[in-house]
Amino acid sequence: MVESRSPRIHFGSIGRRKFIKYGSLAIGAGVISACTRGGDTTTSAVTGSSGSAASGDAVKVGVMYSTTGTIAIVEKSLQDATFLAVEQINQGTGPWQGKQGVAGKQIEMVVVNPDSNWDLYNQMAKRLINEDQVSCVLGCYTSASRKSVLPVFEENDAILYYPVYYEGNECSSNVFYTGAAPNQQITDSIPYCYENFGPKGFFIGSDYIYPKESNRIAKAELEAQGGQVVGDEYAALGTTEFITIINKIKQAQPDFVLSNLVGDSIPAFYRQFKDAGITPDQIPIMAYPTTEEEIQAMGPEYAEGHYSSFNYFQTVDTPENKAFVEQFKAKFGDNRVTNGVMEAAYLQTFFMAQAMEQILEAGEEITTSTLREATRGQEFNAPQGKVKVDPDNYHTYLYSRIGRWQADGQAEIVFATPSAVKPIPWSQALYKGRLCVHPTPDDRSDPTQETGNELPVEYLES
Amino acid sequence: MLDFGLIQAHTLYLAQDATATAEASGGIDFYSFVNQLLNGIGIVGVLLLTGLGLAITFGVMRIINLAHGEFIMLGAYVTFLMQSAFQMDLLLTIPFAFLGTALVGAVTELTVIRRLYGRPLETLLATWGLSIVIQGVVKLIFSAQLKYVKSPPYISGNLLLMTRQDGTPLISISYYRLFIIAIALLMLGITLYLLYKTPLGRQVRAVAQNRDMAKCLGVNTSLIDLLTFAYGCGLAGIAGAVISSLKSVSPPMGQDYLVDAWMVVVTGGVDKLIGVLAGSFLIGESNAAIAYVLNDPVARVIVLAAVIVLIRYRPEGLFTVQKRA
Repeated sequence: MVESRSPRIHFGSIGRRKFIKYGSLAIGAGVISACTRGGDTTTSAVTGSSGSAASGDAVKVGVMYSTTGTIAIVEKSLQDATFLAVEQINQGTGPWQGKQGVAGKQIEMVVVNPDSNWDLYNQMAKRLINEDQVSCVLGCYTSASRKSVLPVFEENDAILYYPVYYEGNECSSNVFYTGAAPNQQITDSIPYCYENFGPKGFFIGSDYIYPKESNRIAKAELEAQGGQVVGDEYAALGTTEFITIINKIKQAQPDFVLSNLVGDSIPAFYRQFKDAGITPDQIPIMAYPTTEEEIQAMGPEYAEGHYSSFNYFQTVDTPENKAFVEQFKAKFGDNRVTNGVMEAAYLQTFFMAQAMEQILEAGEEITTSTLREATRGQEFNAPQGKVKVDPDNYHTYLYSRIGRWQADGQAEIVFATPSAVKPIPWSQALYKGRLCVHPTPDDRSDPTQETGNELPVEYLES
Repeated sequence: MLDFGLIQAHTLYLAQDATATAEASGGIDFYSFVNQLLNGIGIVGVLLLTGLGLAITFGVMRIINLAHGEFIMLGAYVTFLMQSAFQMDLLLTIPFAFLGTALVGAVTELTVIRRLYGRPLETLLATWGLSIVIQGVVKLIFSAQLKYVKSPPYISGNLLLMTRQDGTPLISISYYRLFIIAIALLMLGITLYLLYKTPLGRQVRAVAQNRDMAKCLGVNTSLIDLLTFAYGCGLAGIAGAVISSLKSVSPPMGQDYLVDAWMVVVTGGVDKLIGVLAGSFLIGESNAAIAYVLNDPVARVIVLAAVIVLIRYRPEGLFTVQKRA
């Protein structure tokens, strides 16, 4: 075939000049929109009422959440919670009542948007640390993004506050983990499923590191209980077609489904699950990443009777939570809901502020090592209850709760630990007796310790 | 290791089913597979509906429209808007979704596409840029959060084709999936009628085949272009409205459907509209079958690879009329 039959590009009739004009216009439009889409930095000092704080007198903090791209839905809410906390710290409202800023200094946020792109997280982290010279960074949501920035923080010896429940099996001197470790989410929910629903579990998740690792731990826990794994299926990140997986669930007839789906996939899965005629009485879903946010988006009628395991639900009955929900709605609108990840993003900002305050009041400079030592052991009356940064492993003492979703889109809490549980970063079902103890002061040596023994469940004294 | 074991187990079941067919006791996996093929029809419905609009804008007009997914997204948002503002039923919002997206499509044609006819590369870039712009605008107006769309309460439950002795469903398909297929076939029928049985459709085909000649014969080509593109976008809007209650509504949702829609159109062939039906049937069913035996991500890779091989050897797609050069 010498001559193509497909439509030919006729340059002749258009003329070179016109071609260049329109061509560059089209390309330009693409480039401009691509640029505005991601990778933008805005420095915003939420200076509060006074507004007098010169940037030289402020503490610079990096805020790194994606507000565009596939993960933006969740990360935007984390950013909102962080903004609320910083505003309260700078203005002396909420939990920061009676103070203003950290020892008189305002917190100045350097906000970056990595566009849900793992490489951009890495670049943005470098930029925050080396160019903007921030004292620490609050950010990241997915494990993929955390893994992408971890080498940057370790190489430059900088600090990241990471607010998300994750798969564990990590213990860095440069990260404070304020979301749940496996033993604060998986270890309680699997025995709950085993006892209340039955021994057969079907595991599903999105196809990336967190759901796979999390399910690996959960499967090991279930088998340790004497249960049986009857299915293990993954769907590409962002998939909204679940007809095949649901058919496999129908075929396997499990006693419960354990879901580690994230993002856009969650509403689609619950809707199609109900649409396929499966009721929560027959097969209940126990989920980790499903929060009030997703329940609201899918419509509560699709989630009613299913379960989630989290440290925090909007229905937690504490005065701190009541205030938090009120303040959040006042700032961001009455139709918004709060959720567990947001709460972690909120509370970790206070851990950071308390540590900074302590350093400044002692007359020292905020550096990575002073901030690290000051953050260890910080306590805070968070919306979920009293929490504490574990001085040994830099994870956080958190409550473990299980909620049953109700018709109004809120959770009825059916299980809760009496107080916050001590975090164990290494999954004990997979690495029995492995501990993480950072030395004091932290010289960044390997914190891993093997005891070989079963680790006891410890609670925070309230 | 474990995955490998699962694969083996399933292949084994299939092998058994081929021989021992309808044994009530050991035949559960056979029924399950039949169920899966029926489920595949559910996927076909979504593919057909999302691919139909593209079959018009690309198949008939040869516009490489990378903003197709965004028009689907716009349709879903129109439905969301109508529901939250007027408590409208989902079915009633469908015409609005059509009109709303068709309007945006018409504006796009007038401002962007019209200036780029005959230049596929620039059209590709411009529509790609447009898709980012539309996503950004929707995000600015509605925020990035997922949106809730209420499904019509009277289309719920499952059509039971076969039940076990104890009354539990064995082979079933949900009414909503059937509804999607019905809408898709209806839209295909209407489009075929418009294109092949009306004077307007004759003009559309004439413009597609030979623009200059059509112009000489007194056809208002720019008006035909405008109407055709708007109609294609409107179809995408209907797709968005109908699937919104089964899937998630968020600004980036269109990206997911864009690739599928392109696969369908390219596989089916661009010359015959009926190719869309064949393309979506082939892709939907093979996806369902492979996903059943293996798993979803693998099925996607295999189907995508198969489509690439197909267009290597049959760049015109499966259904094409031989034309004289």
